[in-house]
Amino acid sequence: MTSPAGADTEVVLPPRPQPRRGVSLRDAGPPIALVVIIGLFSVLSSDFRTIGNAQNIMDAAAVLAVVTCGITFVLMMGSIDLSAPGVMGASAIAVALLVANNRNDNAYGLVGVLLAVLLGSALGLLSGLALVSLKVPSFMTTLGVSAVGLGVATLMFSGVQPNITDDMLDNWAVDRFLGLAQLTWIALGCVLLGWLVQRYSRLGRYAFAIGGAEEVLALSGVRVAPYKVAVFTLAGSFYGLAGVMVTSQLGAGLVQAGRGYDFAAITAAVVGGTLLTGGRGGILHSAVGVLLVTVLTNGLVQVGVSPYWQGGVQGLIVVVAVAAAVFPQRRRNQVTK
Amino acid sequence: MKFTSRPTAVVLGLTLAAAALAGCSEEASGGGGGAEAGACAPEDVTLVGQVRNESNPYEAAWLDGGDAFAEQVGLTQDRLTYDGDSTRQQEQISQLLAGDTDCLVMNILPNGDSDTPPIVEGAEEAGAYLVTQWNKPADLAVTDYDQWLSHITYNGVESGKQIGDALAEAIGGSGGIVALQGILDTGAAKDRFAGLEESLAENPDVELLDDQTANFSRAEALEVTKTLLTKHGDDLKGIWAANDDMALGALEALEQAGRDDVAVVGIDAVPDALTAIEDGAMTATVSSDGPWQGGIGLAIGYCVATGELSVEDIADEDRAWFAEQFLITSDNVGDFTSPEVDAADFECDNVFSRSQGAIS
Repeated sequence: MTSPAGADTEVVLPPRPQPRRGVSLRDAGPPIALVVIIGLFSVLSSDFRTIGNAQNIMDAAAVLAVVTCGITFVLMMGSIDLSAPGVMGASAIAVALLVANNRNDNAYGLVGVLLAVLLGSALGLLSGLALVSLKVPSFMTTLGVSAVGLGVATLMFSGVQPNITDDMLDNWAVDRFLGLAQLTWIALGCVLLGWLVQRYSRLGRYAFAIGGAEEVLALSGVRVAPYKVAVFTLAGSFYGLAGVMVTSQLGAGLVQAGRGYDFAAITAAVVGGTLLTGGRGGILHSAVGVLLVTVLTNGLVQVGVSPYWQGGVQGLIVVVAVAAAVFPQRRRNQVTK
Repeated sequence: MKFTSRPTAVVLGLTLAAAALAGCSEEASGGGGGAEAGACAPEDVTLVGQVRNESNPYEAAWLDGGDAFAEQVGLTQDRLTYDGDSTRQQEQISQLLAGDTDCLVMNILPNGDSDTPPIVEGAEEAGAYLVTQWNKPADLAVTDYDQWLSHITYNGVESGKQIGDALAEAIGGSGGIVALQGILDTGAAKDRFAGLEESLAENPDVELLDDQTANFSRAEALEVTKTLLTKHGDDLKGIWAANDDMALGALEALEQAGRDDVAVVGIDAVPDALTAIEDGAMTATVSSDGPWQGGIGLAIGYCVATGELSVEDIADEDRAWFAEQFLITSDNVGDFTSPEVDAADFECDNVFSRSQGAIS
């Protein structure tokens, strides 16, 4: 999977994977599903259709949205990333120990947040380097990096929960601007940033192209390895930020801050129409997927479905939603036989 | 993918495996072989405490309690953790039992009910002294074994009821509450919720508005509580959580919603919950006394290994028993904030003093 060395590095732009002609049925599926589900819950529950609950859904979607931003780039390349729990755990503990807290005298504030995000980037970089230099499948490298992250987090944790006393980080979860928590605005910012990167940067367009037809890209003289590493690093940064956000919400650094977010984010991305085989979908698709998953979780509680049923019902709806959303591409989406 | 370097990979893999094996087995220490049961010299006893992970304050405190007991008898405890991974737990146990087991004392927290039988069989065969806590299949009888000295657990129905009653009292005996359940298919979650139902039966004016699961997780409890707050609004007077992590998640949600009129109770007595009770943010929790748990299992094993106790003399009702647990409120929280073990609890004629009766 290496590119022919020494080829002309003048970039040959890959063809845009998808001609933009109006809104195709393929892209419209998930938003339609979202509208249908919101409509359904609104009819079933008067508690669901309140402004307060809409704010609550947006706030609840914030962390998942940021994780999904990261994972979407990886999925677009046709790789997979399971490192979110470890990276988030490491950055959650790191930020809790760097800002004002009950364990040490650090109070680096925003610099601490930045360092925690950089720790996430470093772990992402590690995933990417292992993938391209050791040729280990991303499934395994990222699983390994997740374990490394959890290990780092456990070492830093050393038996005593770091609780944050930093006003800025605490207020991110509490203070509201135009009805939404600051964390939610951060998440919206991430989605916008992700979309800009995907749409206008070489990194974003190559990620698409690698997922669509890596060989073609390599044959046309593009060295794909650096882009792969960059994508994993970018994803790691998003996970790092997500870990910081969880710490802000919980007021404490938890090793398990990212538990379950790997598969939740993959689910959200796929529900939104990003293919596991790569080359399709994108940040906005994934954002819709995140809202779908969050609305579902919230709606089932609001409607009053028994907790014993919720897991099963939620899974079933996700399977149906994915099946409906990807029906036009069912041949491409077949990952395993 | 090219496989030009397959031999290298094989060699690497083997080297790693060998290194891992060597690393794990260096624990096994030499000691006089062939000791009769109950005839170990105190200095020959090996003490092992095994829990899921040290990143959990409760389990870290458990191991610290084990260290305190070990120090009391002039030994050290091997601290083992398996990250909540059943396979890893069994591997560690196999490693231990493959070494010198004559005077080996193990105080084990099995990952789940089904992890207990292989540990018990292994200890029985190897002649190691075993005490388990929390998890065992109901139909597995401790009295059928000689080396499995005792199984200790806590009556979840009782703790669920204790905090249910404390919550009812805190909201003045009437009003709406919600329950945050644990992982629904665990015994602990079921028993604790059954306890809440008992409490509700005795407090007819307290209404259970909703019960949801947050899987014992702080982050999930935060989200679920936010949703429940929008759903029930001011009708919500109290939150019953099946553990403290969820209670703390609920507290964050209340803070973010600007509500300070909702009482919250949990179980486990983790340090943050004790702080919250001291600050008045939380109403009550229940302690199983983790440090005591870490010490008591080793103490029972040590007493039998050194011959001060014999397995035949342990009454059947002390082979599988509920240990005492303590309701912590603002009145007595001071006694629990810096948990210390009491050496007297670990004297051989005192090790069963906290029994609340046999597991029925």
